[in-house]
Amino acid sequence: MTRKSKETHRTVRWIIQLLFLALFIIFFGLTKYGRPFGIQNLFFRLDPLILIVISIVYRTLMVAALLSVIVVVGTLVGGRFFCGYVCPLGTVLDMCHRAAGVQKRTDAVYKNGKYAIFLFVLISALVGSSFLHFFDPLIILARSLVLLVYPVVSYFTGFVTLVSVAVFTETFIALVTLLIIIALSVLFSRFWCRSLCPLGGLLALLSRFSLFKFFFKNDCSKCGICASVCPTSAIDYEAQTIDAAECIGCLRCYYECPEHAIAYAPHFAHTKTDFQRRHAACAVIAGIIAVPLVRSLLHTKLHGRLIRPPGAIPEPDFVNVCIHCGMCMKVCPTNGLQPCVFEAGLNGIWTPRLIAKIGGCEKNCNMCGQVCPTSAIRNLPLEEKTYAKIGTAVIDRSRCIAWEQNKVCLICDEACPYNAINSLSETVRDVTLLRPFVDERICTGCGLCEARCPIEGPAAIQVFSIGEERKRTGSYITEEKVRLRACEEKEEDIPSGFILE
Amino acid sequence: MHNISRRDFLKISAGFAVAGLLPKTLFSLEPTPHRGPALAVAHGEPSRLVAAAVDALGGINSFIQPGDRVCIKPNISFAANVDCGATTNPLIVKQIVQLCLDAGAEKVIVLDHTIADAVLCVEKSRIEEAIIDPKRVVLLTPTKERQFTDVQVPRGTELQTIKVAKAVLEADKLINVPTAKSHSATGVSLGIKNLMGLVWDRGYLHRVNLHKAIAELATVIEPDLTIVDATRALTSGGPGGPGKTIVLNKVIAGTDMVAVDSYAVGLTPWYNRSFVGANVKYLAAAHELGIGEINTDKMHITAVET
Repeated sequence: MTRKSKETHRTVRWIIQLLFLALFIIFFGLTKYGRPFGIQNLFFRLDPLILIVISIVYRTLMVAALLSVIVVVGTLVGGRFFCGYVCPLGTVLDMCHRAAGVQKRTDAVYKNGKYAIFLFVLISALVGSSFLHFFDPLIILARSLVLLVYPVVSYFTGFVTLVSVAVFTETFIALVTLLIIIALSVLFSRFWCRSLCPLGGLLALLSRFSLFKFFFKNDCSKCGICASVCPTSAIDYEAQTIDAAECIGCLRCYYECPEHAIAYAPHFAHTKTDFQRRHAACAVIAGIIAVPLVRSLLHTKLHGRLIRPPGAIPEPDFVNVCIHCGMCMKVCPTNGLQPCVFEAGLNGIWTPRLIAKIGGCEKNCNMCGQVCPTSAIRNLPLEEKTYAKIGTAVIDRSRCIAWEQNKVCLICDEACPYNAINSLSETVRDVTLLRPFVDERICTGCGLCEARCPIEGPAAIQVFSIGEERKRTGSYITEEKVRLRACEEKEEDIPSGFILE
Repeated sequence: MHNISRRDFLKISAGFAVAGLLPKTLFSLEPTPHRGPALAVAHGEPSRLVAAAVDALGGINSFIQPGDRVCIKPNISFAANVDCGATTNPLIVKQIVQLCLDAGAEKVIVLDHTIADAVLCVEKSRIEEAIIDPKRVVLLTPTKERQFTDVQVPRGTELQTIKVAKAVLEADKLINVPTAKSHSATGVSLGIKNLMGLVWDRGYLHRVNLHKAIAELATVIEPDLTIVDATRALTSGGPGGPGKTIVLNKVIAGTDMVAVDSYAVGLTPWYNRSFVGANVKYLAAAHELGIGEINTDKMHITAVET
């Protein structure tokens, strides 16, 4: 093999990797308000780990992710190419490793870690909690793009477009997580992929049985070049074995071997793993304990202000089925959808909540449901979405300037697109003025009033989760709601701006 | 040099006072039946209303000179459907843009500081239909504080300074294009009220005396032409809707913003009750500040059918 073909091959691999990364980023960029949503969540649908874990934890087959069977079959035929060529996080880590220029070190790797984490995620899903969002590489990358990259990008695009600058309430933990993953992989090539990634673990398990494998086709001089170039330490050149579970199909050994001793062909010798029963037992026990642990360490409904996006399935399923990818927060045009820190419990970190003080839920928007890859936020039609009640606005009369200071404010009435705020003539200490009242039967909890209340500090009208509706299936539209909203003979007093004779 | 005695001073003052009391017609060369502000009311086919009204006022060339930078202020502050009437009809804005371009305007800026999210407001109001020439017409929805600058309000008691969109202050001409709609706080929202969409912190106006503050705002932002879009009127449930929307197929144009608004108040009942301009607190306040005429009897009104 000539030097040139080695170089060509490396370039080709880089191009393929960068193309998939570019595709991931383009899909991410196209996931935005005002753009029809279609195949932008393709990567999530190709992720077999999401299919397995979400189907188990929700006890319902996640049909949208059935596409990932392609990856499973592909791995069973050809090996762990997904990790070596497709996975965008893998590419990012390769790029960081290359950019840092650190001498390749393949030691200090605990390759059974990924099996343990895979088992842990699987068992905890069986017991009742999903921890996928901490470990799935596609989710980690998507979330990092939403919480860390998008605000920076929108800061600059904000100069030329109407889209306002996105700012999020929780980016620190997301940043630290990503930096740790990157740092480890800079020090030790593909540390994340080889030691921690549960998707890598799943694909490694499958590729042990893959039809095509790399193997030593004939005896060689044991020069060790193959092992020294292997990014995942899959080769034991002394024993002339290649661990199919670890091999990500980068073809470095294939091209670098001066004796052309390595072949890629159907091969039936299964490589053994040293993943022992006690490792598995530890992972299983951890998975069982973790579920009650994360639920019991933090109270979640203390403030009654955990407002979920419209169409969100009931808790605690929501926290489990939601993969915490952040796409809903990216598309929310008002920036009102924000990542939870610990409001929804330890495991609810990065799940979306509406912070109406930042931005309300626009009547004419159902983007969050459209982009949700697991339908944790159901994809409700626009009309039905407006009937999904996410909370109720409550007026704090002691803060309201119409009630307390006799000001002609009523901005909440102005902001309400459902006419759920009635401005009624009310005499307080001899001053007669229109003052706001919430009709809680019509209020959907969208929070547009809270977003616009002109009071400094906490708004004088705030949305609480009172009366929120969460449905796993079935329509949010009822005859009663339609009748109430259409009601023509609504109470409406003559505005204070008129001089009545 | 000799000093004026107190007696002389009183005589002279009295003379001027008497002269001031005399009807102005005495000094006029050509007497006209109506002396008040000119108003054009066009009714009929919506796509021809603006030209008809503006022609009745002397044509667009009496307002726009070649090379002018013109700012057009529609109301697109809510993410409501066009049919609702909470936002200015894009068809009307489009005609005004066309007229300005025909008159040789160098740049036309269609501008509103929206209340709801700008992207949604632009989408729902379909205002982009009015951006007919991408080179000379721009849509601007300022969302950042740096796009506004402090303006002193010398005659203000409620407002001392107010942050106004820079684009308006830098423009040569301002054409105010409100939609006719009810308003839960101020009763109606027409031309003067529409100016609130040019300020940064509109909430501040609600925290002081809203009616007086709106009138004072009109002392510092003076549109060269106000055209009320009354193709339809949102007569209740305003300003954001939904509410009762009626079709009127009218526009009212004039240079006197108070007069235009005052006439528009009488177009239709609001909240199922009939009002005149003087019934609206902020219009009465604006009239008191001398911004314009409130009595429709004193206006020179030209009605046009298209």
